Amino acid sequence: MTGTDQSSFLGRISIRRNQVNAMEGYHEQEIEDLELFQKQLSDRFAELLSAPDDAPTEAFLSISWIRKLVDVFLCCETECKAILLMERDAAQISKPPLDRLIPELLERVVKAMDICNAVTNGLELVRHCQKLAEIAVSALEQKPFGEGQARRAKKALVSLMSAMHVDDKESSVQKTAERSWSFGRRSGNKDRHHGHYRSLSWQVAKHWSASKQIHAMTMNLAAPRGPEASCLPAPVYILSLIIVFVMWVLIAAIPCQERSGLTTHLPINKHVNWTHSLAGIHDKIGEEWKKKEKKGMAGLLYEMQKMEKLGQSLIEFTDSYQFPGEKEKLDEVAAQVAELAEVCRRMDEGLVPLQMLIREAFHRLVRNRTEFLDVLEQGGPVV
Amino acid sequence: MDGCQSGVPTYEGDLHVVAAAHHIVKALGATKNLSDDLRKILIDLDSHLSMITSNIDSKGGRGLVDVEERLDQAERKIMRWETDPMMIWDSGPKEASDYLEAVDETGKLVDGLRGLSVHENRKQKEILHRAMNILQMAMSRLEEELIHILVRHGQQFEPKHMYSRSIRKDIVYDESFVSVEDEPIKETSSRNYSNDESGECIVDLVHADVIPDIKSIAKVMFTSNYGPEFCEAFISVQKEALEQYFSFLGTENLSIEDVLKMEWTCLSSKMNKWTWSMKIIVRVYLASEKQLCDQVLGGLGSVSSYCFLEISKATILCLLNFGEAVAMGPHRPEKLLRLLDMYETLACLLRDIDTLFSEEAGSFIQLHFHELLERLGESAIAAFEAFRVAISSNGSLYPFAGGGVHPLNKYVMNYIRMFPEYCNTLNLLLKNQHPGVADQVTEPDYGLDASLLTSCPMAYHLRSITSCLESNLHKKSQLYKDEALQHIFLMNNIHYLVQKVKGSELRLFFGDEWIRKHNAMFQQHAMNYERATWSSVVSFLKDDNPGSSSMSKSTFKERCKGFSVAFEEVYKTQTSWSIPDPELREDLRISTSLKVVLAYRTFLGRNLAYTDDKCVKHTVEHVENSLLDLFEGSSRSLRNSRRW
Repeated sequence: MTGTDQSSFLGRISIRRNQVNAMEGYHEQEIEDLELFQKQLSDRFAELLSAPDDAPTEAFLSISWIRKLVDVFLCCETECKAILLMERDAAQISKPPLDRLIPELLERVVKAMDICNAVTNGLELVRHCQKLAEIAVSALEQKPFGEGQARRAKKALVSLMSAMHVDDKESSVQKTAERSWSFGRRSGNKDRHHGHYRSLSWQVAKHWSASKQIHAMTMNLAAPRGPEASCLPAPVYILSLIIVFVMWVLIAAIPCQERSGLTTHLPINKHVNWTHSLAGIHDKIGEEWKKKEKKGMAGLLYEMQKMEKLGQSLIEFTDSYQFPGEKEKLDEVAAQVAELAEVCRRMDEGLVPLQMLIREAFHRLVRNRTEFLDVLEQGGPVV
Repeated sequence: MDGCQSGVPTYEGDLHVVAAAHHIVKALGATKNLSDDLRKILIDLDSHLSMITSNIDSKGGRGLVDVEERLDQAERKIMRWETDPMMIWDSGPKEASDYLEAVDETGKLVDGLRGLSVHENRKQKEILHRAMNILQMAMSRLEEELIHILVRHGQQFEPKHMYSRSIRKDIVYDESFVSVEDEPIKETSSRNYSNDESGECIVDLVHADVIPDIKSIAKVMFTSNYGPEFCEAFISVQKEALEQYFSFLGTENLSIEDVLKMEWTCLSSKMNKWTWSMKIIVRVYLASEKQLCDQVLGGLGSVSSYCFLEISKATILCLLNFGEAVAMGPHRPEKLLRLLDMYETLACLLRDIDTLFSEEAGSFIQLHFHELLERLGESAIAAFEAFRVAISSNGSLYPFAGGGVHPLNKYVMNYIRMFPEYCNTLNLLLKNQHPGVADQVTEPDYGLDASLLTSCPMAYHLRSITSCLESNLHKKSQLYKDEALQHIFLMNNIHYLVQKVKGSELRLFFGDEWIRKHNAMFQQHAMNYERATWSSVVSFLKDDNPGSSSMSKSTFKERCKGFSVAFEEVYKTQTSWSIPDPELREDLRISTSLKVVLAYRTFLGRNLAYTDDKCVKHTVEHVENSLLDLFEGSSRSLRNSRRW
């Protein structure tokens, strides 16, 4: 998506509203704006859906893909808000059914803010995994390579695996206890080191659950029907759906506090043109999730999955390694190590910008909420 | 390294050169004040030279044997502990230093052998392989020892010793404007500034005795390229310790949704707790953590600040998140003081934060901090505006019974009485609100020049708040049908306003002129009251014909009766009115007395001839005494009274 696309779209609305305000045919213009907006949405999601499943860069659910998704979200948010608020009389916003729809939207916005925070925390776990993988890579790259380095790599990889497989349920202590460092034998403080989410400061709040938030956000989220489908309820619905959808994808991709039952059905109306690709992405991720959920995992982030696969294979190698090792095997491993190093590099490049982008999305939600509240206040019944 | 390979000496002379160089390096290495970088170079050089020596020797077959012997020795020392259930550093300093020495030796051997490994010497490769295995084992062990030391010698500290909590009376204000009684608020200057400003108190998060041990472990692990492992372990333990401390302070993570839905009383106490925890965490805990990181990892470049950031990030973000949630909540007037507390806390911690997170990697924390400060400032201003709006729009349908001090007035005045404590902050925040008053005062130093204070932005806003209040009170006074009661109400309320201003630091901001004006105002209302109530009553006692000595009996009778009825009526109504301030009540009674009693006495005196008549229902004393019953807030009637 390009900035010019967006600015021309916003310009169009602004000019329109100025020109035709209070003229006949205002409604037709609005319908046209809305259609144009939906067309753009459709294109953007189609582009996201068409990302390759496995590619060195830009793969489906990779860090750069998620960044694109958040970008799409930011654009939609701006445009939707333009359609809803730009040059508009506040009184229109506070009339039924909007007087109910907007507060519902704002409830979702608040939940989305918490999810942004949860995701930011989750990205810290991803970064932690990256650090462990880097230790493993540097050990495996050592020349000459010996059993000592193999053990060093294995230790880092085992920590990596358990960090990844941390069960995000607060209650399940069993799995997380094992994650304690492999050297706890003497110190007797095995159970000191809990998983990422047992660590208090990375929790959003006690008993907070990402999947429950998503579930709550889908309540009353229904596509407007009949005449409502072409006027103001439509952009409110679109904005709501996109917020829920993007948050859902983020939770699925990035480790998050308590995600069991995330496959909640999102009420995407497949009979509307613009939601085709959205539904496509939803189905694709939903299926991935079902496949992996039982195993307990760090999330569907492409890089993490790659890391998990390489990590497991390298653990097997380090387990059975004996000095000096077969040349063929060593070459194979060298390729895997290079791949793991590449994943680390991509994380190193992409995680901080992604975190910043999520932060921007958070700020945007905050501002969005303030703007709507201001409008509601203006248009609200005079007390 | 390649350069060295080609130069491996083959004859006696070179051997001497190498030996001499080795000697010098060793001597240099013994110097105390070396930078860590330089020391590392010397260590590398040292092991390299010894390797060259042994390589020269190996022509005679002796060198490698020597190396192997040294490795055997180190291995024995290291392996011994693999089966020992004791921790090394718990077993004594000698054990620890022996172990470190063995690890150091192994490291040197590895480095040296590596430097030569291009030579296809099978034996040499084998030894290197073995040495690296031993080194790995030792590193793993050191990591374990490190965690053990950090956990075992981690120190708890009680926050109370560091900071006494603000002892300001915590009045929970709420929107209902329910009357806040004046008595218990004697909080002036109870904000504990001295403690707030007294700056850092750094504590030992880990016992000072073990810092050298941790440092020596760091040194050997970093030298052997096990730095990342050291950091991982160090960060994990310290991060968890901070988290434990955080929950020990009773602070918990809250989602934004929770905060937005929270009841005000609960939120207020959480906001209080936040300001308190924020200060302790930043000023004491993080400052101490930073010191620990620097002590242990100083000289290793950015490692110290990296570890510090990783340890503290989660907790500080959690604190900031609460602040954000509070700032985005509805800007209700009752939030104002708590918001100002939070704002001031952040403002006074800004410098600390900028120092703690001065590196590039931590700059986002600085950014968050500054953003939050700005937002809290905006919220405070919004709450301030909401306060003003709430005052203007506080409406009543019915007149306030008795005409006493209205609860809104009490609420507002008791609330703004606390503003002078926040003078500097409010001035800063309000400066941009009304550019007109902005420039007059740039840096008001609160408590100094009186003429300056009355023209600062806060003074302007304070006066605008009270004028909102006054006009609302005027509106409320219109609800009384009785004009006299309108005046009593306004007199009471303006008097209260003036008293509150005079009796607190507010007087510095309102200024003498304001006080004079408002004194005159309530006095005017008192006079208006007298006129409205008593003019008609006293008019019965007036002499229509001042020339003649007395009036006719029938006129006297009629006048007397008229006066009694009017007086009884006033008595009946106005005993239920209320003037809460005893002095004001007394003053008004005296001046009423002067007017009425004097007139009555004169009236009776002039008509002495008729005074025996029973038409004189009340004696002068009766009238005088009954005036004392007015404004006590409980309705009485003269007719039913026993006193008559």
